[in-house]
Amino acid sequence: MKTHLEVRDLRLRRENGFELRIDRLQLAEGQIYHLMGANGAGKSTLLHLLAQLVPADSGEILFNGQPVNGSAQIQALRRQVTLVEQSPFLFDSSVYHNIAFGLRLRNIKGAVQRQRVASALADVRLSGFEKRRARELSGGETRRVALARALALDPKILLLDEPTAGLDADTLPVFETLMTQLAGRQLTLVLSSHDAQQSQRLPVIPLFLDRGELKQPKPVSHSQYHNGASALWPKHLSTQGI
Amino acid sequence: MNYLLESLSSSLAMLLHLNTDVLNAVRVSLETSAASIILAALFGIPLGAIIGLARFRGRRLVLTLLNTLMALPTVVIGLFLFGLFSRQGPLGPLGLLFTPWAMIVGQMVLATPIIANYTLATIAGADPRILPTALTLGASPAQGIWQLLLELRFGMMAAIIAGFGRVIAEVGVAMMLGGNIRGTTRTMTTAIALETSKGEFAFGLALGMVLMSIALVINLFLNLMQQR
Repeated sequence: MKTHLEVRDLRLRRENGFELRIDRLQLAEGQIYHLMGANGAGKSTLLHLLAQLVPADSGEILFNGQPVNGSAQIQALRRQVTLVEQSPFLFDSSVYHNIAFGLRLRNIKGAVQRQRVASALADVRLSGFEKRRARELSGGETRRVALARALALDPKILLLDEPTAGLDADTLPVFETLMTQLAGRQLTLVLSSHDAQQSQRLPVIPLFLDRGELKQPKPVSHSQYHNGASALWPKHLSTQGI
Repeated sequence: MNYLLESLSSSLAMLLHLNTDVLNAVRVSLETSAASIILAALFGIPLGAIIGLARFRGRRLVLTLLNTLMALPTVVIGLFLFGLFSRQGPLGPLGLLFTPWAMIVGQMVLATPIIANYTLATIAGADPRILPTALTLGASPAQGIWQLLLELRFGMMAAIIAGFGRVIAEVGVAMMLGGNIRGTTRTMTTAIALETSKGEFAFGLALGMVLMSIALVINLFLNLMQQR
């Protein structure tokens, strides 16, 4: 299985003394990774690092086997790795403009652009929302548009920070069904959540952040994981209270 | 009291009859202010964006300098540029002194720190998610900053309007660098100063009313922008 993104000996220290320590992390094509950890464990920081929105103090990130250590490589990574924040920001314009933003940057115009926007909106069950103003959307609709904006770009890796936290009953199934569908598109997904139950509902590979330190169990397949792979999960890393 | 009422009546008559000297002063004021504000925006907005977004050694000093420039009396700017543009000055051969170009440069120097400071304040108060959102969607840093400024367009408009309000009402730069030449460099403010000193109070009052109307419109726009 092809490894898209690899992280080695990564360290990031915050001003408040928090330190993120990732000795090794490999994200393979088409897998869903469930990044778990208590509030403040560093989940969002790790996602920002993977999206190269914050620089690490030390360590190495390899994208498709190539080190990411210059502005050109960072830019190339950002074109393939897209982050959707827990509380996403939509530009003060129409839904169409928001979704087409990244497409225009990639020089995707005209009918292809319109088709990609329509398809992404259909994915999140918001067909026909193109002309709506972003600031008039509800919280759930805003998050679905933000997801559509990322999906339209067809990234290799999609990073979702707490995608289901606080979602209403109508929106939650949309997200969970979509996550499962996306796994079939050879898209690598990393979704962070402090909801350990989500692992039971989705075919995921668990990653656990414990006060900034990543504990990655040895690689297991989806079927292994859901057929008792929890035995591979280190006992001291209880998911209780996550 | 009669003097004031008569002057007011004469000034209204000048405005209604479109007095040539009044119109010329209004035209020169609007032309030089518009040109200088365009140039000031071209320098001030990127300058404010860089200082607002970058973290570098000496940033605090740059901020202090920018605030000082905002508070600088217009005659001091006029004096400094007069030295540069005068015949003996380093830019003397360009022959800009007492031309609208010298006034435009002076007013640009006056407005640039205002626009930069407004831009800086707008960026400091902006939603911190704007730039990371643009970047994760594939924007280059320059494209990301452009998108940030687009999102803050009302703040940028307010910066430009505030700068325009400052330059159209100033007198020091226009007087020292323009020379108050009738029809060429005589602005509303320099005309008011000159004509009033000559005893032409009604003429000054007519221009004062135009200037106040412009200031009112500018502030209405500014309020509108700041509410967005």
